[in-house]
Amino acid sequence: MDIGPYVLQLFSGLSRAMVLFLLSAGLSLIFGVMNILNFAHATLWLLSGYVTFSIFTFLSEQFGASPWLLLPAIVGAVSVMMLVGLALERFLIRRTYERELPEQLLLTFALVLILGDAIKLIWGLENRRINLGVEPVEMLDTLINPYHFVIVGTGVAVAAGLWYFLHRTRFGKIVRAAVYSRSMVSALGIPIPMIYAMVFALGVGLAALAGGVFLPLLPMALGVDLDIIVQCFAVVVIGGFGSMLGTFVASIIVGVVYAFSILFWPDGALAMIFLIVIAVLIWRPWGLFGTELRY
Amino acid sequence: MSATADSPGLWSRLYAAYGLSGPVAMLMFALFLLVPLLPGEFWTHVGTEVLILGLFAMSFNLLYGYMGQISFGHAAFFGVGAYATAMLFTALKTPAGQIGIPQFLASLLAGPPVAALAALVIGFFCVRLTGIYFAMLTLAFGEMLFYIVFSWYSFTKGDDGIQGLLPPPFFQDSANFYYFTLAIVTAAVFVMWRITESPFGYTLRTLRDNQRRAAFLGTNVRTHMLANFVIAGAFAGVAGALWGPFSRSVNPGLLGWGESGIAVFMTLIGGAGAIVGPLLGSVIYTLLQAVVKMYTVYWPLTIGSVILLIVLFAPGGILGIVDRRIRAARAEGEAKEGDPGAGPRDAPAPP
Repeated sequence: MDIGPYVLQLFSGLSRAMVLFLLSAGLSLIFGVMNILNFAHATLWLLSGYVTFSIFTFLSEQFGASPWLLLPAIVGAVSVMMLVGLALERFLIRRTYERELPEQLLLTFALVLILGDAIKLIWGLENRRINLGVEPVEMLDTLINPYHFVIVGTGVAVAAGLWYFLHRTRFGKIVRAAVYSRSMVSALGIPIPMIYAMVFALGVGLAALAGGVFLPLLPMALGVDLDIIVQCFAVVVIGGFGSMLGTFVASIIVGVVYAFSILFWPDGALAMIFLIVIAVLIWRPWGLFGTELRY
Repeated sequence: MSATADSPGLWSRLYAAYGLSGPVAMLMFALFLLVPLLPGEFWTHVGTEVLILGLFAMSFNLLYGYMGQISFGHAAFFGVGAYATAMLFTALKTPAGQIGIPQFLASLLAGPPVAALAALVIGFFCVRLTGIYFAMLTLAFGEMLFYIVFSWYSFTKGDDGIQGLLPPPFFQDSANFYYFTLAIVTAAVFVMWRITESPFGYTLRTLRDNQRRAAFLGTNVRTHMLANFVIAGAFAGVAGALWGPFSRSVNPGLLGWGESGIAVFMTLIGGAGAIVGPLLGSVIYTLLQAVVKMYTVYWPLTIGSVILLIVLFAPGGILGIVDRRIRAARAEGEAKEGDPGAGPRDAPAPP
């Protein structure tokens, strides 16, 4: 049996899963702590891709082309995007903490439209992509871009880092406590607005990292953010809001199911994912790994 | 608008009896009647779009403003209605592409019941959830329907959509089609208004305000939510049925969440607290779009900024602001006269 195409789809699915994880982890954290569903999360990811591209291009012109320049470019983009995240939280999102859910959704959706057009204004309609010039390696009957390993490695490393941060550090424990009871955390004298700002910046930082890491594999194009955000919603719903493990497992489910559906029913890949979402929402609305408490 | 608060005239009596919806509905109806008198077909065309999308947004508001649940998949029923009409239309028209008036009307009638049926099946699952989970499940169902229509080429013609929905010659005249649409939308608004003012409508408001308390009072929460979901789906189907002959074609995008978003925007701009709020939102949204698109491709930036400003500074939409102004003026007047007059019946409150 020729397993080549399946291996290829598995790797492409795992890469997609890691990007979805990096985005959904931030989305889930922000929702868990701040109770805000950030529609603009994938648009910030897209913006970060464009910023990474610009920094990478600038560095390449200064120091000559080298794949390693991607590293400082990503670090730069993550820093820029975290500042953008802090500014968004401080000047816009903070004003809606006391509001109803639909108004918060609309605010972040307005950001999707505004940031999307801002990207169009600054970078134009052209797709942006970084070509690292790495050769595919032959393994398991097929040619695989070794960059897939970088993406999967980054995703796993960030997952481990997030776990350590949330379970072993003081700030992480405060964040987890805030997911369960904001008022109690506040009563213990911890400044909630600061926690909110940090969590939002952290979430945007993770999205920015995903944007940079993803850039050599797929071109950044206007409108991709809308496809991705809907898939991220699918991930957090399947995994359960606020559960990191759930988000990780659900990302792999969504990424791999998507990749293999493309093999059998190209147009129906997303329909398959929504079928899973519907099944989970009906069977366990709080998600596979979420707790009933939050529901 | 502030004059309504001071002089006890027709507007004031309408406001006292029907809340802000009364005078606004009368005023808008009068203005809508005059639209085809404007020179050129362009404004009549835009007016028809305002009415159809306004009806769609008002059907969404049955869920949002009156039941307190936000649906991100409401366009599924708009699209299903449009496709049902388009398919029957295609089956009934002659090979030359013509269709008689009875066949045309029959194809329009296909939209609402099919949309209601879809809403019954989807709603059966959705009404088990509330809040963010309701929003997510409606989004998932809507997107799934979208991808089914998008990829089931043999049945729906896939992403090509269905073209050539040319109505009978009488309705090809833009003014005639406009008045036809206006009549249907007016009737639909009247029926929706009667529904929201019925005991059923007030039960929905209790579900919005406190679902647990409503359940303790013996209300069957799921049945009421499902009934309202089906009603909202049926009215979205009415709007969808009109859309095909209006734009001469239907496409899968009508079911997508971008289309659902339009209903949400219109409702938030106009105000969710009044029955005609979303229609006012549609006037503003559609007119703004028609004008802005003449000058710039940055329409998303424009509408995004408008929504941002409304969320930050005008929660409750345009009608919400106006209503607060009127109430403040009234309270001031009553404080002067010491007369506790009857307040408006249909108290528009943001959900």
